Amino acid sequence: MSASLLRVLWRHELTCLYRNRVLVVLFSLVLVVLLAALWAGSSQWHTQQRTLGRIRAHRHEMQDSLVQRIRRVEAQGMHYPGFIWDDPTFAYNTARNEGPQYAAKVPFALQALVAGQSGVQPFYYKVYITKKQQLVHESEIDNSYLQFVGTFDFAFVVVYLLPLLLIVFTYNVVSSEREQGTWVLLKTSNQSIAQLTLARLGIRYGLFTLFFWAIVAPVLAGLVGPAFLATSNWWWLVAAVSLYFAFWVALALLVNSFSLSSNLNALTLIFLWLVLGLLVPALLQFGLDRAYPIPSRIAITTAERDAINHYFERDGQTLTQEVFSSPRTLIRQASVVTPGMVYGYGVIVYKSQEIKDAATQQAERQLYRQIEQQQVALRGWQLTSPALLLQETLSALAGTHWQQFNRFSRDVDAFRYRTQRFFYPKMAQESTYRTFTVADAEAIPQFQPRVYADYHWLPIGPSWLLYAGITAVVLGVGYRRLLHATW
Amino acid sequence: MLRLLIGKELRELRRTTNATWLLVGLALLVGLALYNGYAYYTTRSAFLRQSQQTTYAQFIAQGDKNPHLGAHFGFYAYKPTADLALLDNGVEDYTGNSFYLEPHKRGEVKFREVSDATALRSFGFLNVGYFAQLLLPLFIFLLTHNLFSKEWENGTIKLVLSARVSTGQLLAGKLLAAGVVVGAVVLLLALGPLGLLAWHLGPSGLTPLLPTYACYVAGLVLYAALLTVLGGAVSLLTRNSALSLVVLAGFWLLGVFLVPRLTGELARRTHPATTAVEFDDYTFHDMQYGVGHEGTKDERRAALADSVMAYYGVKRLEDLPVYFIPITIEAAEESDGRVMDRAYAAIERNEARQNRLVQLSALLSPFLAFRELSLHLTATDLDTHRDFAAQAETHRRRVGRIVDAFYQKNTVAGNAFWRTVPQFAYAAPGLGWRLRHATGPVLLLLGWSVVAVSLLVLAKKISL
Repeated sequence: MSASLLRVLWRHELTCLYRNRVLVVLFSLVLVVLLAALWAGSSQWHTQQRTLGRIRAHRHEMQDSLVQRIRRVEAQGMHYPGFIWDDPTFAYNTARNEGPQYAAKVPFALQALVAGQSGVQPFYYKVYITKKQQLVHESEIDNSYLQFVGTFDFAFVVVYLLPLLLIVFTYNVVSSEREQGTWVLLKTSNQSIAQLTLARLGIRYGLFTLFFWAIVAPVLAGLVGPAFLATSNWWWLVAAVSLYFAFWVALALLVNSFSLSSNLNALTLIFLWLVLGLLVPALLQFGLDRAYPIPSRIAITTAERDAINHYFERDGQTLTQEVFSSPRTLIRQASVVTPGMVYGYGVIVYKSQEIKDAATQQAERQLYRQIEQQQVALRGWQLTSPALLLQETLSALAGTHWQQFNRFSRDVDAFRYRTQRFFYPKMAQESTYRTFTVADAEAIPQFQPRVYADYHWLPIGPSWLLYAGITAVVLGVGYRRLLHATW
Repeated sequence: MLRLLIGKELRELRRTTNATWLLVGLALLVGLALYNGYAYYTTRSAFLRQSQQTTYAQFIAQGDKNPHLGAHFGFYAYKPTADLALLDNGVEDYTGNSFYLEPHKRGEVKFREVSDATALRSFGFLNVGYFAQLLLPLFIFLLTHNLFSKEWENGTIKLVLSARVSTGQLLAGKLLAAGVVVGAVVLLLALGPLGLLAWHLGPSGLTPLLPTYACYVAGLVLYAALLTVLGGAVSLLTRNSALSLVVLAGFWLLGVFLVPRLTGELARRTHPATTAVEFDDYTFHDMQYGVGHEGTKDERRAALADSVMAYYGVKRLEDLPVYFIPITIEAAEESDGRVMDRAYAAIERNEARQNRLVQLSALLSPFLAFRELSLHLTATDLDTHRDFAAQAETHRRRVGRIVDAFYQKNTVAGNAFWRTVPQFAYAAPGLGWRLRHATGPVLLLLGWSVVAVSLLVLAKKISL
């Protein structure tokens, strides 16, 4: 096809689309939904950044308060004027009060595009020595009902809405010629109808995609800063979304090649959208839930509690007797809290936590093994639905995939372990109680917040290469059908 | 004549291959939705029932312990799965179902299933509720989008109008024919779960559910009928199948996906939630320094010691006939409880404002109105969840009072004492309560029915 013919077609398409108002209406709609989605996503991103700022300020306040309080006690000859449970020179008290540190997952800029799991997974934890992070989420306060309703983000717009708008843009490229009586004219021309149709769809695809990125890239850069443009995540995202659009255009060409009416073309494409976007994921979920049922976290607490009861039936009795009956702890009375009592409870809590942590390991491993298996199986099946593949890819690239939150959660658990190792020796040695100093306060382990946007665990390249192949095949079949059309 | 018209429409539908495939596909989906809902309900309800017994058994068998330590071991209050969650699991997976009953800390409901789910969960969970809210409207619109317009497109409208049939009969005949097909699907949706519930619960278990179930089916029938009338009205108004399909599919898309999600985001921005960090700061401050003229924690503790010693006529805490520590625990529980109640009430008020905004968007979407009704009737809504959380919190405080009363005179508690602490049992509020909370959705559904009928009357005036 010559360049001059392409120019003619380009002008023809623009004129046609402009005159029947499709171009204006459709692009206005795309503009509105994209701006709304980018606004919603970026304001969520800004909220998270503000929260992290608040956490940093909170940490400094708590640290200053702790150091000042210890200095005051030391200056007053180790006399603490308030309630003994608040005395910061007990390691156990500090471990409960000012000691717990925040661990945060810094939101990646592309999170403004894809909420992914960020709506239901915590992006920061307050790390206590006595709570298992993966077991008890100290999650952000959010309305469960709104989580149930779902988020309106870029990913939702791209995965669900834009295919439908692309269908409106492409469903009648061939059928409208037949319905308007211009088909005969095309048949008698010396140009290949298949090539003409392919070129027309290509022009529409190009228009749509260019318009789309011309809005998304500058608006997002304006909202969250342009740094993301330099990341490979962004360029993979551009490639995946553009290919997703190409898939729907290829499907439109295939459906158009069957010589159906415009009405039936639209119906068929909407039906395919429904199947690929809703039904296949629903069926996959059904199958995977049965193949790899995920145990409830309740099973972990049950195991933990069984272990505690079992422990107190045997070894624990000795410990409690030693602690309770020790003349230093004075636990056998409940009139006044004594320093020994604070120490004694600290020991019991520490011992119990060791038992709980050991007991939950097996149940926890089983839970994560099942989730992991579901995730792996899902990766195997995601090619059955381009919507699902795109959803997975987008959340991985934006740093909001389950895998990335899981990685964060595991890092937090390791940090919790480090914090325990810091506090336990100070809590559990009878000779060390009331010895928590300013130097100790300054040595409390800190979590290094970071971005979790690594995506190398997901075979994005091969998956999308395969989908490019599928798109090419669909396009090829549609093209060949048009080439040999006898109608 | 009416019977002839209905017969003609149904014959036409049967002879169209697409409709047959559509119906077969639909029946398969309903079957799958039923199985999925049934598996969800039976597995979870048995597991939660068992877990409630296990956690309590662990509590009452914990052996000799300091009463306060034993109270910290505590036990869980699990929200039982509602029987009608077989139809619709609503917000269940988003709220969690485990409430820890231990001293000092108002419990938070934990273990949300959605946290462990794959990305597939964002595509929805296929059960009867999902089917009725998402797929049934699309099916009805696909069925009705050319109900009237095809007569214009096939050029048969003149023939039909010149026959011995009034426009009213024509209208009623076509709508009733569509109603027969839609009714068959609704019947399947209504009887399928009923059969499964009867099989699982037996007649005695099923009987108490029947009034609620009847309300659900009535809502479903009204919803399906209004969508059928709406589809027919648009078809009659546009007299063009393609345009009618675009309008109805667009309406579906807007109503099912766009409007609720967008208003959800708006609600988040217009009524921003407090962050957990701020929540911790505020509550810590109020508990430590008191609200108004309450005084600091140390001042309150000193005042309590003075009043207790004055009450017993002693000068030292050690001389009290009861232990003082449990008294301080109970007093702190009360004053901290007030702080937490205020803080949680503020969160709930804010969430109620957010939810109201989303629920108001049902003015633009009948699908949302039905979803709300469905959540309330199946007891899988946020109101029921809050009721559970409130009851669990009441039970937590009750356990605290029992343990502290015992602790005032004993420093060791054995299994004989633990067994005196009552087990937790939750029963969701009855039908009257649920209907009261569902007044809004019911009115909106009725309002949408009026809109649909008015649109049909208008379309008749314009087109026939």
